[in-house]
Amino acid sequence: MDTSNSQETLVSLRSVTRSVTLPDEKQLHILRGIDLEVLSGDHIAIVGRSGCGKSTLLNLLGLLDVPTSGELEFMGQPAQRLSSNARARLRGSTVGFVFQQFNLLPGRSALDNVITPLFYAKGKDFWRRRELAMDMLDRVGLSARANTMPNMLSGGEQQRVAIARALVRRPRLILADEPTGALDVETGQAVMALLDTVATETAAALVTITHDTNVAALARACYRLDSGVLSPLARAEAGAHS
Amino acid sequence: MTSIISTLVEAWQELRINKVRILLALLGVALSVAALTSVVGLGSLVREGIKAQSERDGGRVATLTLSVNGPSTPDAEKLEKAYEGIQQRYGITTSTHVGRTQAGFQFPRGVTAVNMTIVDIGYGIIHRVPLTQGTWFAADDEQRLAPAVVVSEAFYNQAGRPNLATNPRVSIPGDQPATALIIGVVPDTYPDTPPAAFILTKAAAMTGMKPDMTEFKLWVGEEQANALTAAITADLQSQFPGYYAQAQRVDFAAWGDPLGPAQWIVGGVAGLVLLLGAVGMLNISMVTVRYRVREIGIRRSFGATAGRIFVGVMMESVVATAVAGLAGVMLAVAVVKNPWIESKVAPGLTEFPAFPIEAALLGFGAAVLVGALAGAIPALVAVRVKVIDAIRF
Ligand SMILES: Nc1ncnc2c1ncn2[C@@H]1O[C@H](COP(=O)(O)OP(=O)(O)O)[C@@H](O)[C@H]1O
Ligand SMILES: [Mg+2]
Repeated sequence: MDTSNSQETLVSLRSVTRSVTLPDEKQLHILRGIDLEVLSGDHIAIVGRSGCGKSTLLNLLGLLDVPTSGELEFMGQPAQRLSSNARARLRGSTVGFVFQQFNLLPGRSALDNVITPLFYAKGKDFWRRRELAMDMLDRVGLSARANTMPNMLSGGEQQRVAIARALVRRPRLILADEPTGALDVETGQAVMALLDTVATETAAALVTITHDTNVAALARACYRLDSGVLSPLARAEAGAHS
Repeated sequence: MTSIISTLVEAWQELRINKVRILLALLGVALSVAALTSVVGLGSLVREGIKAQSERDGGRVATLTLSVNGPSTPDAEKLEKAYEGIQQRYGITTSTHVGRTQAGFQFPRGVTAVNMTIVDIGYGIIHRVPLTQGTWFAADDEQRLAPAVVVSEAFYNQAGRPNLATNPRVSIPGDQPATALIIGVVPDTYPDTPPAAFILTKAAAMTGMKPDMTEFKLWVGEEQANALTAAITADLQSQFPGYYAQAQRVDFAAWGDPLGPAQWIVGGVAGLVLLLGAVGMLNISMVTVRYRVREIGIRRSFGATAGRIFVGVMMESVVATAVAGLAGVMLAVAVVKNPWIESKVAPGLTEFPAFPIEAALLGFGAAVLVGALAGAIPALVAVRVKVIDAIRF
């Protein structure tokens, strides 16, 4: 892992746990003592079986959720002490999400979808929303489909629109939750390559959740999540899986 | 600033997406706003009409009549003195006698009986007499040798509609023949009323017209009307012991609003219809929100705050009903300002008032309120959406 001094810590987790109370009053411990640092410009992959808590971890990284215990600092600020509004604003300005199911807003054109995050931006970015969104669509190679509705786009195209939407506010942290999970292998690879390239170009940190080890191999650091415990995965090991 | 505008732009976009469903609910809102606004607008038009009519009949706010009744007719001179004294003591400047009689006038087609109203100059002010031509009596009309008359439209027609600038005259045959000068024309109160005319008290005496019965009217400020009524009654009573003296309000405001109850009922019905519109709107917003839980989660993941989501969902409803309200108000204006409807609703008016701004504001305000109420509940639901559950697959 490259930890040169020029890199700034975006998110740091120390002994973070997350548990939920089930309807039968029992506690479900989803995450048990996670330690993780995400530095600016990092490309991190997290692999693990379905249901092992990957999405829960990603939600914590993106301030959609707060830890049950342990410390989570987001750009130096303890997440537990931020109000939900402050977390929303911080999330809007620094985090971009890419989901497995694309999660595009139905009935709205590709362009309108990419514009959505800019509704929550301040002044200049809101007024220049069309221009910025067109720019981003251009980057993912979809400027020609700007006025197309999501249901008229292929899976790969939809995920590219989602990537443009995640990046339109120039987030410093991109969180991708199984971005290739709903795509065929080839399309998935192309989308992953695009995500990796765009993240590099915009100097954003990228945290990708995947169970595709090929995808994991692209990352500069790899972790395995198993029963709520995070452990580093040696490069060789990651390669060996493929 | 930007966040207000971006909220509005977003709400407008959302409305365009859910067009048809919302349009139907809005139709209900628009129609009930139109009904509510029309009722209030028509009510105020009718009230204007009644007011103008009753000002001509009874006098404007506040008009008192004085009367003294008893075993015998009170001495006329003493009565006049008493009236004058009262005006001086209470600082009343506008008053009039009102007497009625009939007199024959010589028209091109023969002598016709005319309903005469014998008045003083103050009558014009107290009854706000509208003139279609010429002028009301002035101070110098008392001095004329030829008595001046202000005539009704029917009278004017019978006289052959002469040009008033030529000082047209009409002769009064009768016991003391005279020639009257027409100085003004007033509209007929109702279509096909027999010819009528006003004449000043002194001129009437000169031509031998004797009123059957004379009233005496005073115009006083509305605030003092009740106090003065009591004081003048007592004053008059003390001057005519053994008689029954009374000062009494006769203007229409003294009877309360004649339209009040009817307008409350129709307004209440319109309000109920509006409530139904609100429930329809609420229903649709609720369905829309449920169906959009995931969408709200996605928006929140891109930085929308809870407040922003609340205002956003509420604004959709408010923007929609505001547009519907505007349409409803426009429809109401078209109805109320329709010339045919105006002439049917307020036949007594020569000039129709502008559409009452408070009726328009009421309609628009009601629409916005309905939007806010119908939007608030789904907005609360939207805020309670758990982001991580909403975007979970
Ligand atoms: N709010 C919750 N209530 C109950 N169970 C939950 C909740 N959130 C997550 N879980 C459970 O925790 C486990 C981990 O979930 P998740 O992080 O979505 O897994 P992954 O993304 O790795 O598939 C799953 O078994 C899921 O059912
Ligand atoms: Mg998951």
